Amino acid sequence: MRTDDSGLATLETILSVVVLVPVLFSVIAFGGAFQRWIAQDAAVVQAARFAAEVGGDSAEVRALLADALTGSGIDPSRVDVSIEPSRVGWREPITVRAVSQARIDIPFILHIDLPLSSSAVARGEVNR
Amino acid sequence: MLPLVLVVILGVLELGALRVAAARARSAADLATVVAIGDQDLLALSATGRFRPSQDAAAVAREYLVLNLLPVEHTLGAGAAAIAGAADVAVFADAGQTDPLTGRRYEQPAVRISADVPIKTPAFAALLLGAVTTIRVDAASEAR
Repeated sequence: MRTDDSGLATLETILSVVVLVPVLFSVIAFGGAFQRWIAQDAAVVQAARFAAEVGGDSAEVRALLADALTGSGIDPSRVDVSIEPSRVGWREPITVRAVSQARIDIPFILHIDLPLSSSAVARGEVNR
Repeated sequence: MLPLVLVVILGVLELGALRVAAARARSAADLATVVAIGDQDLLALSATGRFRPSQDAAAVAREYLVLNLLPVEHTLGAGAAAIAGAADVAVFADAGQTDPLTGRRYEQPAVRISADVPIKTPAFAALLLGAVTTIRVDAASEAR
């Protein structure tokens, strides 16, 4: 009896591609998203400290945040930023929030925008 | 083959999420100590010209640790208030003191937080590992 296993290698290759390619893309895509999230968090903390120093929301605070985001490879025009309250007094809390979307594209499995939310609370340092 | 691949994916994703959660907890503690050391005793400062943390610096550190952990509370294995309440908060009112916990010497008055932060790790639980992973967070800020 003659056996022919020439198709087995093809089948293994197809299975490997279908399984391993998504794994590879998952590691790269989620690794990038996690790195971006940490960078965004750091930028928001920096902005919260500055907002507390200058007493609230201002063009300088937003510019600092935009610079920090740009330096981390994040397009600031695609980040929703809120600073509340817009004017803060001595020893009052001020919150800076930033939300962006990280695109996750994994062949055969997943295509989503992953929301990355960051926030930081600092304390007003301007004695009005 | 496929189950092994799924286990690897789950493990990698959970490790990444754990790293993000740990970074956020550290930045929460950092910001809390910065705020607390900024809370200076203004009377002492104007009288002596030297920095001195106010009486409520430790309470302020806990309060801002809670405020900064609240947005990520859903990822934690305990409430933000419980974590901050159990945290070891030390205020070093004088310059040149050595922290008995970390061994670090502070050249200026400082506030230090050392907290155990439990983080939910559901994928680890699915892999028969711990459902909660506790990380130690240390943060300190000096006045200047």
